Order: sequence, then structure tokens, then C-alpha cells
Amino acid sequence: MKYTKMKRTDTARNAVAVFLSWIVAVGAPVFCQQDPNKEELKLQLPKPMFIGTPSNIKSPNLEAVTGKPRGPFYVPKGTRLLSLNKRVTSSDMQPIIGELGFVTDGEKSGEDGYFVELGPGKQWVQVDLGSSCALHAILVWHYHSQARVYRDVIVQVSDDKDFLRGVATVFNSDHDNSSGLGIGKDKEYVETREGRLIDPKGVKGRYVRLYSDGNTANDLNHYVEVEIYGTPSK
Amino acid sequence: MSRTAFCTLFLAVLIIGLAFRLGRLDLRPMHHDEANEAIKFGVLLETGEYHYDKNDHHGPTLYYLTLPSAWARGQKSLAALDEWTLRVVPAAFGLGTILLLAFVAKGLGREAAVLSALFVALSPVLTYYSRFYIQESLFAFFALGFLITLGRYALRPHAGSALAAGIFAGLVYATKETSIIIFAAAGAGCVLALVSTRRICRLTHEQERKGGKWDADAGRVRRRTAHALTGLSGAVFIAVIFYSSFFRYPGEILESVRAFQGYAVRGAEPGFHAHPWHYYAQMLAFSRSGGLVWTEGMVLALALIGMGFAFKNAHAKTEPNPASAGQRFWPRYLCFYSLLAAVIFSVIRYKTPWNVLPFHIGFILLAGWGAAELLKRAWSSLGRKLLLILLLAGCCHLGIQNWNANYRYPADPRNPFVYAQTSPDFLRLVKRIHDLSAVHPEGVDMLIKVVAAPYEQWPLPWYLRNLRRVGYWIDAAGAGGFDGVPVIIASQENAGVLESVLGDRFQAEFYGLRPDVILTVFIDRSLWERFLRER
Repeated sequence: MKYTKMKRTDTARNAVAVFLSWIVAVGAPVFCQQDPNKEELKLQLPKPMFIGTPSNIKSPNLEAVTGKPRGPFYVPKGTRLLSLNKRVTSSDMQPIIGELGFVTDGEKSGEDGYFVELGPGKQWVQVDLGSSCALHAILVWHYHSQARVYRDVIVQVSDDKDFLRGVATVFNSDHDNSSGLGIGKDKEYVETREGRLIDPKGVKGRYVRLYSDGNTANDLNHYVEVEIYGTPSK
Repeated sequence: MSRTAFCTLFLAVLIIGLAFRLGRLDLRPMHHDEANEAIKFGVLLETGEYHYDKNDHHGPTLYYLTLPSAWARGQKSLAALDEWTLRVVPAAFGLGTILLLAFVAKGLGREAAVLSALFVALSPVLTYYSRFYIQESLFAFFALGFLITLGRYALRPHAGSALAAGIFAGLVYATKETSIIIFAAAGAGCVLALVSTRRICRLTHEQERKGGKWDADAGRVRRRTAHALTGLSGAVFIAVIFYSSFFRYPGEILESVRAFQGYAVRGAEPGFHAHPWHYYAQMLAFSRSGGLVWTEGMVLALALIGMGFAFKNAHAKTEPNPASAGQRFWPRYLCFYSLLAAVIFSVIRYKTPWNVLPFHIGFILLAGWGAAELLKRAWSSLGRKLLLILLLAGCCHLGIQNWNANYRYPADPRNPFVYAQTSPDFLRLVKRIHDLSAVHPEGVDMLIKVVAAPYEQWPLPWYLRNLRRVGYWIDAAGAGGFDGVPVIIASQENAGVLESVLGDRFQAEFYGLRPDVILTVFIDRSLWERFLRER
């Protein structure tokens, strides 16, 4: 008797849960995309290089790895990829492996031959978009064939190529200011094939500079691809 | 090659070997095995005590032979030690391995000795483990010493070479339990080489006897028995000295024999260290990872050529004399030894990359001889010049790989010699702990609790050796309370439990210890804020 009652209660609870999930799943994109001037950013992701989630890597200062796909991301209509084949400079102009051009060549594979390897310690790469643009999404893949975390990832936008004036920081995971660019509040994250999606919230700039300071596997810095989406200046 | 040219070239090769082996010895973070050995050596240094552990740590030579290094640098305690003091010991034996090759010049020829020495000096794998504070570099040196002295005895039996072979055998035995493989491979290799060259060896012996260099046959058995006893005494004496801690603990000599049982079980049930039979061959021949390619293929190819030459014209008549007997015997002896040792090590399921050293040395010797024979047999002077250019290019390639393996990627998992290596990221953790203790009122007496399984604790004991209050527990339940503990280091398994216990009173950070092994550091928030203020 008791068993039957419990079973009925559970069934009802499950039915409500399923209904609510359905409402959320179907309704969320509809309700979230209330702004008619926005559209979903369509991304092409590389194939995964490791299977499963790195269950051993979890920490309060680290973004939890769910293993589920990232949800949709909405950007203003007319947003397009601005960084493809744009000029890249770096604090290490003579990479150990690969070429700086790999950063914006549109190839996101995690296999050998698609990444650039910069020297040890704090290094940066900088993409010159050619003109000042309103930026709506920045995607970065450091190295996604192994579950690793890059240290002190900082992304800045500016119209000054030397980043001395008018610098806007759009991402900073340097929680102890070891890079000397200020304490960041963003959590560190595990590299996956999805890359890291950063929301620059429409900040304007011609140059995008990305810093890192080694990673949990070695002290070198890598970039497979950086994609910068925005609306070009008119 | 003239004697002067040989000495000059050999000296140049030694300098190359020295440069690769001694540069920036502290560059690579300490591997957990190195840290373990360092702590054991620290006990010997501080207390003079050494006890052989038949289940771990291998033989005692490494520790005793590190003492002069610490004395020379005036370091009298574990806390005073540094990476340079420790790693200079295997580096010195790595150099010694190059020097030993001078003793094969008589048997293989001066050109072969110089080329072999050059290949050893440039070998990425030999250099890598010459900068690694474990037994391997010493083991390879002693194994090569044994191989050479045994070969010299086989060609020309003499009490002196018997004693030298015995001493080297004792040192091999006192270094690592896998000595038994070296004895088996060298012994069998020597017998097989003698059998396959018996005609020329016999004729040479007869000629020497006729020339009055040897005594009559009558005393031969007696002499050989005396030689065997001399060699055996040398081996036993050395083994007893080391295993008994200079006669202090005689019982531990038997422990060294009992150890074989444990190591046999480990070989059959290797766990994490299980690798396929071709693991060593692949590592040496060709490996590729993350945009990096590694190969000692040139050396292996030359070794194969050397093997071919060793058995070519096996039935050709040669004038019997010690030089020609040596020219026949040595390549075959090295060939049999290297192949047998490589097969035995490859058949055993338990594999670690440093096990290639004792047999790769044999292949390198064969490669040196093969290269020298190629140059000697070149069809013309132009052919010889072309071969020299190719060899030079191959050596440059080895040198570049050596640089990459030891200076650019010494702790990178893409390096095939990197095995469960401590990540450079771990050094950030070490720096953080020391920075925190510097701002903590209690300084080096700051309490630190490490909550992690033993495998995840190492190499912390080495890096935190200067801090006086560091406690180690395998789980959070056993570690007692955490109130008033300013710093806690936890493995992932324990970090979740600690997170719920500690709440947000602590700032949490994580650091890579090894590939896929993370440590979380919990820092009392008031200490964290003080650290941020004062940094």
C-alpha cells in the first residue's frame, strides 16, 4: 500500500518535472530572444580530441565541467566574423611550433599542425581587425586535444596597438594579479573543443590582445584559433 | 686515427657531453621518484643511517655516491640540499659512461670509440636520464663497465680484468635489482660471441702461447678457477659493503636477495606501468606527439649496419692476432648482449622509459662501430666525404633533439622520456606556499596540512623541506580539525569534502601536479588578503 502511494507520488512528480523541462527547453530560446535585433551566433566547432569530461579537474576557482553543449548565444543582427585571416602579432614573434597566422586562419582542429606554440611564461597574441569595430563575441581555443587549464587568461580590447590607452578588459581569470593587469573575477576553465566564448558586450576597438601564462600541463602558451565577431564600423 | 687525434676528438666529445649534462640542472621540476630518493638521501646525510628497502628505492649506491657531492658543497642537512647537488651525481656518471668508451678503442678501433662516445654525448634519452636523480645513470655506467671488463677478460683472461669485472658486477648489483638481466645478457652474449669466434680466438691464444706470452695448458683450469674466485670475491665484497651499510647491518645483504621475489611479482603485475612489448623500440625509433617528433633512428640504423658487419664474412680467413680477434669478438659480443637485454626488458610487462639505458648503450656502441666500418669501407673518398656529411647532419639532429628534450620540453608530456613527470605548474604551488609562509606571522613554522593519497603527496616533501610544520594525511577524516590551519593542500578526492567543511573561509586555488592530477590549495582568507596586500 505504502509502496503504491509512493510510486504514484513519484510518477506525478516526474510528470511535472518533464513538463517543466519541456517548457524550459522549448520556451527558453523563444523567451530569451526577446530582442528582435538579435540572432543566434552560429558557430562551427572542431571535432572532439578527447572523450568524456575530465572528472579529476574540479576546483572552487575553476568553472565546472558539465560535458554538455554550451547553450545558444545571441548577438546583434549583422554580426559577422571579423578576425578571419587578420594580421596577428605577439610578444613571441618567433613561435616554437607553428606560425602566428594559425591564430586567425579559420582552422580549429586540435590535431598537430594547427596550433601555434609560444614561449614559456606570460605571452600574448594580438589581432588587428583593421578598423575599430563593436565586438559581440570572442572565441578562443588554446589547445583542446588535452584537458588542461591555461593560467591568467586575460582578453583586452583597445584602439591603441600598444595597449597603453583606452584599454577595456573583457575577460580576466588572473585571481591573484600575478600578471600585473589587475585582479580578475572570471573563473579559470578547462579547454574543450567548444572553445571559450567571451562576451565583450559591444565594446569597441581595433585590436584584441589575449594573454596567458602557461598551463597546467606545461609552461608554454598555445593558440589553435581566435574568432572575433562584431559589427564593422560604418 | 693517430693517438693524438683520438685524444683530441675524445676530449671534444667529452666537452659536448658535459655541456648537455650539466646545464641548468634545476630546470625540470623534481619527479616524485627523484624527490623520494632525495628524502632517503637526506636521512643518510643527516643521520648516517641507511637501510635497504627490498620493496622500494632500489640499491644503495646512489645515496652513498651522493655524499661527496653534498660534502663538496658544504650541505649537511636535507633542508640545505638543492637539485644541483643531487643531479650532478647522475650527470657525473653520464660523463663517466662517455669516458668508459675510451676503453673499447683497443677492441673496436679508435674511430668507433670516438663515434660511439659522440652518439652517447648527444643521445637525448641518455642525457635526459643523466640529469635525473634516480639510479639509472649509475646503473648504465656500471653495466657498461661490467660489459667491457667481462669482454676484456674473455679475450685475454687475467686476474686484473677478472677483479675489475667482479667489482663492476658488485656495483651493478648494489644499484638495481634488474642487475640480474644485465648479468644474464652479458654472460650469454659473451659465451655466444666466444663460440661464434672460437676459431680465431683459439688460434690467437695458441699463437700467444707459442710466443711464450702465456703459461702452459697445465695450469689453465687452476688459473681460471682463481680468476673466477677473484672476480666473485670482488663482486661480493662490493655488494656486502653497500647493502650492509659498511658492515653495520649485515642482515640486509639477504634482503637484497629476497628483493628479487618482490620485483618478479611486480614485473608480472605491473599495474600503471604495463606497456606493450614494442614500447622501448618505438620510443627510440620514432614517436610523435603534439607537433613534436622524436627519433634516435640514425643510431638504431647504424647499429643494424654494425650488426650486419659483425656477422659478414664470418668464415673468412683472418690472420690470428689479438687485434683481429678483438675486431671479431667485440661487435658480436655487443650485438648478442644488446639484443638479449632489449628482448628481456621488452618481454617484461613492467616498463619505464629509463630502462632503455643499459641496452641502448650497447646499440650505441654498435652504431659507432657500424659508422666507423662504413667510413672504412666507403667506395671512394667522395663517398667517405658524403657519409661524413650525413653523419654530421644526423649528429646535429640528435643535438637539436637533445636540446629540446632537456632544455625546451624537459617536463612536457609530449617528450617521450617524460613519465608521470611533475608539471611546471606545480612550481607555482610551491612558490605560493613559500610566499604565504613569508607573510604568515609564524613564517617557516606555519602549519600546513596535506590531505592526499601518497602518490599525490610527492614531491611535496622535497619542496616543502624547509617548512617545519607540514603534516601529511591520506584523507580528510584522519587529518583532524582544520580550525586555525592557514593552508591546506588537498587532492581532488579530498577537495570536495574539504570544500563543504571549510565553506568560504578559504580562498581556493588549484595547481597541476602531473597530467590529469590536480591539487587544490585552500588558503585562510585573512592570510590570502594579507598576501595580496604585501606582495
